[in-house]
Amino acid sequence: MLRLPIAAAAAVLLVAAAPADSPVGVREPDGYWQGALHGYTPKTLAGATVVDAAQVARLIEEHKPVLLDVSEVDRKPAGLPPGGLWFPVHRNIPGSTWLPGAGDGDLDAAAQDALKARVADLTGGDLERPIVTYCHPDCWGSWNLGKRLVTLGYRKVHWFPQGIDGWQDGHDTAVSRPDPSWAARPKATAGQ
Amino acid sequence: MASSRRTTALLAGLILPTLLAAGSAHAAAGDTDSQRAERWGEIKQQIFGDAKIQSGGKAVKIDAPKRADDASLVPITLTVPDKDNVAELSLIIDDNPTPYAAHFVFGPAADPSELKLRVRVNNYTDVHAVAKMKDGTFQEATEYVKASGGCSAPMGMSDEEAMQGMGDMRMKFGETQPGKPVQATLMIRHPNFSGMQMNQVTRDYTPARYIQKITVSYGDKSVFTMDGDISISANPVINFGYLPDGAGPMKVTATDNQGGHWEKSFPVRSASN
Repeated sequence: MLRLPIAAAAAVLLVAAAPADSPVGVREPDGYWQGALHGYTPKTLAGATVVDAAQVARLIEEHKPVLLDVSEVDRKPAGLPPGGLWFPVHRNIPGSTWLPGAGDGDLDAAAQDALKARVADLTGGDLERPIVTYCHPDCWGSWNLGKRLVTLGYRKVHWFPQGIDGWQDGHDTAVSRPDPSWAARPKATAGQ
Repeated sequence: MASSRRTTALLAGLILPTLLAAGSAHAAAGDTDSQRAERWGEIKQQIFGDAKIQSGGKAVKIDAPKRADDASLVPITLTVPDKDNVAELSLIIDDNPTPYAAHFVFGPAADPSELKLRVRVNNYTDVHAVAKMKDGTFQEATEYVKASGGCSAPMGMSDEEAMQGMGDMRMKFGETQPGKPVQATLMIRHPNFSGMQMNQVTRDYTPARYIQKITVSYGDKSVFTMDGDISISANPVINFGYLPDGAGPMKVTATDNQGGHWEKSFPVRSASN
């Protein structure tokens, strides 16, 4: 790892100067990322493994990981004419569970509980079960969720920063809908 | 969500090595194909109702880059070999949240043999063209386009800058020969905000502001009318053919969803005598 103090200092300067414009030197925040979810992300996630599409494909083949997509739901723009065709569709890695909003940095207690319970359900309570978190490139949501899972004690968390865009270039996608039990979590939650 | 030009370039750099590593294994036809067919069926039903649409014919053809350099500026060419018998042409980008990108109705001064426009593509998707023939039948063509993030890609400038000169129009005319159709290119300055673009400074979504209708006429005859949507790229450029019968002028009107209305007449250099 190239983590020299000087490089780090330069990174801080770069980040301070132009956070949205610099793909380099983004450091891991201490806690969850609380800023805009779209933006350059760090290259690493402490406690998790960063994977590319080929590695995700191999994981799926060999270890049946739990695949968690935190992409946002398409938001209908104001000002579209009534009667126009608004008909969004979401495709992701086949077999994924879509948890829109689960990558927010400021999930409240109820949402955290709902997420914890849902992931426990999906992994069968097995902290050794591989998990992959993803959304799109330059998306902090999957980074945040990966970090949350590491914090919850999952030991094989994989963060896939290229996300759907990286996956669909060489692999099949499938139509997905927001996970019903996650969507039915108590109302006062953050996200979406 | 969003993928600006900058990120698209970044992405290309990320994906290529991955592809090489993965041996570029393209997934076999599977759920994806049947799900895409199913979605097209649902979209068709919503737009064309129960009309029977024939595929595999030669009445209409789509040309699009298999992989677009810029998902917010994907060039599409619609070719209609059977140009004398086509009445309307629709362009549908299946996986865009607003799939119905454009609808053209041709008038008596049209030469519909070729239309070009530039669109936003939100995700890897089938793109469909549907021609309504003068006898009331429908024909479709399809093409698969690899591009993503086009609907939400920011314009790389402030909204105010993007709206400068809004409604300005230019027209370029191709070579004119007596009795022959002429190709023309209409350019309209307009951000065509999709409503899905986030202002990078304020972090607010810029409200949708897009051209809903364009009419083009030659003399007193219609060339075409186009109903547009947020899938049309910023600063719309439309390449079309017309029949230069008479002295013109070429008149264009454009209307957007926030009440903007612009008109311009273009004098046409006569080709005859």
